[in-house]
Amino acid sequence: MKKVVIGSGSAFWGDIFDPALEMAKSGEVQYMGFDHLAELTMALLNRMKEKNPEAGYIPDIVPWMKRLLPVTIKNNIKMISDAGGANPLQAAKEVAKVVKELNLAPMKIGVVGGDDILPYLDEIRAQGWKFKNLDTGEEDIDSIRDRVAAANAYTGADLIVKELANGADMVITGRVSDNALYVGPLMYEFGWKFDDPAYVDLIAAAVTVGHIIECSACVSGGMSNMWKVSERPWDIGFPIAEFYENGEAVITKPKGSGGIVNQWTVKEHLLYEIVDPANYMMPDGIGDFTALKLVEEERNRVRVINMKGKKRPDTLKVCIGFKDGFIGEGLVFFPAPDALEKAKWAEKWVRERFKKSGINFRELRVDFMGVNMLHGEAAAIEDLDYNEVGLRIAGRTNSYKEAEAVRREATHLWTMGPVGASFGVPMNVRPVVALWPSLVPRDAVKIESQLMEVN
Amino acid sequence: MKKVKLAELAYARSGDKGDVSNIGLMAKTKNIYEFLTKVITPEKVKDYFGAEVKGGVEIYPVPHLDSLEIILRRALGGGATCTLRFDQTGKSRGPVLLGMEILVSEEMLEEARQAEKDIIKQYSVA
Repeated sequence: MKKVVIGSGSAFWGDIFDPALEMAKSGEVQYMGFDHLAELTMALLNRMKEKNPEAGYIPDIVPWMKRLLPVTIKNNIKMISDAGGANPLQAAKEVAKVVKELNLAPMKIGVVGGDDILPYLDEIRAQGWKFKNLDTGEEDIDSIRDRVAAANAYTGADLIVKELANGADMVITGRVSDNALYVGPLMYEFGWKFDDPAYVDLIAAAVTVGHIIECSACVSGGMSNMWKVSERPWDIGFPIAEFYENGEAVITKPKGSGGIVNQWTVKEHLLYEIVDPANYMMPDGIGDFTALKLVEEERNRVRVINMKGKKRPDTLKVCIGFKDGFIGEGLVFFPAPDALEKAKWAEKWVRERFKKSGINFRELRVDFMGVNMLHGEAAAIEDLDYNEVGLRIAGRTNSYKEAEAVRREATHLWTMGPVGASFGVPMNVRPVVALWPSLVPRDAVKIESQLMEVN
Repeated sequence: MKKVKLAELAYARSGDKGDVSNIGLMAKTKNIYEFLTKVITPEKVKDYFGAEVKGGVEIYPVPHLDSLEIILRRALGGGATCTLRFDQTGKSRGPVLLGMEILVSEEMLEEARQAEKDIIKQYSVA
């Protein structure tokens, strides 16, 4: 039975590099997916591109490819990477330089983009599409339109499939869904088509498998309830999926690597960062996680069977980022005796100071670290004899100046607070790019691709 | 009956989707799953987390995985990039939920403790 083996090489900008290289060296995979884009990374990359037209991609792609390409070419592994960010063409040009520098040519790089809908957002709006906010229910984007910093559609695997068919050895994309990095090669290899009902469950299975492996270490022992039994977690292996033509898949990791893959790690990840488990909606299909079953075959091998789902939706998710004020933050720790009492005293002090300085807060939050910062109301504040308690003050304001004042008042506690106040390194004020999650008609997004031949 | 923390009966992991906080709650056995579907209600979860959950709570059963998907809407201070929460993406919500106290029969508690022992034994590296 034909099988295609895909692996995850990265889950975010800043992910650990070694497991990707180890996976490539193992030669156990045919394709590797690299995700570097979080929900609002595009806003940051857009800003970089505005300042410099040759920036706007994830710069790490250059050093990573220098070390990976010699191995992946030798082991015949194709890579799909969204490191193109806001400038996939420039990212491809930079990778082409690496290819030439290391004498690895000829090589073909597929370049996939067109996810940036900001240039024609108003055109779509003018046709009556209001970009309703999926989180808050606000009906119309007009209220924030002048502050929009990025608007990128989560596009699907269409053009990844196309460029692989054109002979691409590597594909560099902009904001495709993380999932499409894995669905693309599977659709290409098995020849599935979106419009054929015979392939609906198979594509949904690919969407499901993409979800399982796309967060790298998060299904192989990272962030896990299995942390006590994860083998050599410092040598963690990133996940691999063997996908079979009958629609079943085995989730595993490179032989000899550390970490753990078992029914619990796969469950954890299936349930992670989703909403309705029967309708996991992605641009390429809808996965139904309530249909599938997990079978542990042997150590670090979990078979996923009976994956089902529905055809891809007519709309794409669009992530609109808009500028929305600033956050200033301060942190002070107090030692025993009377650690919690000192922290409460300091809270009162800082609140009085804020009154005097007349800061207009949109929101102000005070936490006692070590007491209720993570638990919130789920933990009662008990008058225990703590060894130490931290006071964290965070305020959101409209102006930079006011946020800076929040940070500054907190630093004054270092010298004016109770004895023993300890403070570490102060945090910088940060601008807020808020998220306006919405949908856009699939047909309105002008996706595009090309094949770059490096000789 | 005995009052225990939910951590005795289940595992949990949580994350974010915009301003939605989600918790995957995984029962340690099928029996426990059936029990949890009855005792873990949206009202109880909302009440446990308090005012930080501004929107509704929904619970989706996933029987083949002996798990519940718990959705807390408008629960992350507007979402990771604008929240004042230290835990911007709500990673701690799952483990915090495991601190909830539940009344459970002695037999079920024994079953849960045995399951935990078996899991540790099965996956431990010699």
